[in-house]
Amino acid sequence: MTRDNGLMTALRAPFTTLALRQAVFCVAGAVSAAAILAVAALVPALGVLVLWASGAMSREPAPAVAPVFLVVFPLTVALLVVLATPLGRALGAVHRTLADRLLDVRVDAPPTRPSKRIRALVSDGPGWRAFGYGLLKVPLAIPEGYGAFCYVFGVVNLSYPVWWPLFRNHPAGTTLGPVWGLTPFGAIGTRTFAGTFLIAAAGLAMLLVAPWLMRAGTALDLAAMRRLLGPRRLAERVRELQVSRARAIDDAATMMRTLERDLHDGAQVRLATLAMNLGMATEKLGVDGPPPDLAQARELVALAHRGAKDALADLRDLVRGIHPPVLDSGLGDALATLATSSAIPVAVRVELPDRPAPAIETIAYFCAAELLANAAKHSRAGRIRLGVGRSGERVMLTVEDDGVGGANPDGPGLAGLARRIAVVDGLMRVHSPAGGPTRVEIELPTHV
Amino acid sequence: MRVVIAEDAAMMREGLIRLLTDRGFEVCAAVADADALRSAVADTAPDVAIIDIRMPPTHTDEGLRAAIDIRRDHPAVGVLMFSQYVETRYATRLLADRPTGVGYLLKDRVADVAEFVDALTRVASGGTALDPEVVGHLMRAGRDTAGLASLTPRERAVLSLMAEGRSNAGIAAALVITPGVVEKHVANIFAKLGLPASDSDNRRVLAVLRHVSG
Repeated sequence: MTRDNGLMTALRAPFTTLALRQAVFCVAGAVSAAAILAVAALVPALGVLVLWASGAMSREPAPAVAPVFLVVFPLTVALLVVLATPLGRALGAVHRTLADRLLDVRVDAPPTRPSKRIRALVSDGPGWRAFGYGLLKVPLAIPEGYGAFCYVFGVVNLSYPVWWPLFRNHPAGTTLGPVWGLTPFGAIGTRTFAGTFLIAAAGLAMLLVAPWLMRAGTALDLAAMRRLLGPRRLAERVRELQVSRARAIDDAATMMRTLERDLHDGAQVRLATLAMNLGMATEKLGVDGPPPDLAQARELVALAHRGAKDALADLRDLVRGIHPPVLDSGLGDALATLATSSAIPVAVRVELPDRPAPAIETIAYFCAAELLANAAKHSRAGRIRLGVGRSGERVMLTVEDDGVGGANPDGPGLAGLARRIAVVDGLMRVHSPAGGPTRVEIELPTHV
Repeated sequence: MRVVIAEDAAMMREGLIRLLTDRGFEVCAAVADADALRSAVADTAPDVAIIDIRMPPTHTDEGLRAAIDIRRDHPAVGVLMFSQYVETRYATRLLADRPTGVGYLLKDRVADVAEFVDALTRVASGGTALDPEVVGHLMRAGRDTAGLASLTPRERAVLSLMAEGRSNAGIAAALVITPGVVEKHVANIFAKLGLPASDSDNRRVLAVLRHVSG
């Protein structure tokens, strides 16, 4: 029974949708390998062109275009180095999508590149790994290509006996060339109807072998994808966590220092002054009997009263800075409240199907507060749009203004934000060309 | 009595000017940082300087360093450190060379105008004024815990007030007892701690502080 089942599986294998999907994946793999080879061939081709143009390949004097090629060659190499990681990432994205759609295999995307600067491009680890996958794709495509070839031409060869009577009905005596059928071991030619059955038999064999070839090819390919296109390796992740932990500790210490400073210079001074004024007022009122200086005492009490109110306002601001109480009723309410205190009109739009973790809400809130404050200080904008939405398992916070732009992502404010966001594996993208407008996107996980 | 004020919080500075002027002091200068303080003291030769410890630019111990300079360059000027928290190390640094004409008070003490003015006057005339908090810290961190433990609660209170820099009359007023009783307590304390008896308030403070702070 089991042997029969095995045989049936083997016979059915070529006719499953999986085989068809694998075939499409393999063809795509072969095509991309060819594309990669073409790009890679650009360098030696240009090199040869340089040699030719500079006259090294002939006795003729160098043509006038030689200097042009001498400039173009290193430029191309440099361009390829700079473009290697984005190209690798793009290639990786295409292959991840193909694997997901065709083979139902999900490979998680690596973390996005932190910035668009050239240095980040060149030192982009996941980008280089994806580039490595691109190089590996060329040998990987060989079994895939073979499999796809066997599959497609297996069907074609199998069909020879069917169309032979349709096209080979010439009058007797006509001399015809042989009909060729393609196999992995060369072409088989035939001039007779019976011969087409030989080709069909070869086709059947190819068709039966094809699924296993394709399976082997895609399995190798998927293993490579998991290693090279997936999220970072453990060691890198550990290093990243170490850095972000150090930043979190630093941030906490800085926050405590700021808090101490705020209390020391704010509420504490106000309360000490208030106590002083009340002390003086007490003296002016005297211990008993008619007050020695009622007018001054009144003035001092009024001063103390104002001081107490100021101290309260100070403390309220401080408390809001630690944790805005309105945040307890959700990011939507908190951001709406925040928007009302902005000097520039803010349109708030919060669309979240459910509430993210409290820590994420807090980070999102403080990012929004910082970005609004930045916009108020530097952008000279007339309007700000503040949006919060959900994209998969990520919370997306967007702050856009119509101001003058030129925000520096490496400045202390934005860099500080980026640090705080990195602690929870979040990302920030700043788009702020000189002349504006500015758009800052922050991506946070929904849960820590 | 002529006073220079160095305090970076404008509100506090204005309040102090008002309080001191009201109490008949002459405020020669009110500045907001240590450099201005140094030149104000050099220019006006006051009797006493009230100095905030934390001032711009670094907001750490500018005031303290300026105070140490002033005590070295202008020994006649009393120095009253004024701070929102007590740092025992600052107190010992200030008292290191000589515990005369020096004070260290929490800003809270300004609420009790009479006591504050009393402390300021003491410092201006070469005495000592240490905040009870500072004294408490010094005593807790001190070495002779056995000696201190042998004191009665009343004697400990008297010792603390002595360490703050108060005279017998001041101690008597603070504890609502007669000066005679204070003298008896003082004699007992000196005997129990094995300190040489001394008439002068300053020498007495010095002995007590040396004893409690080691």
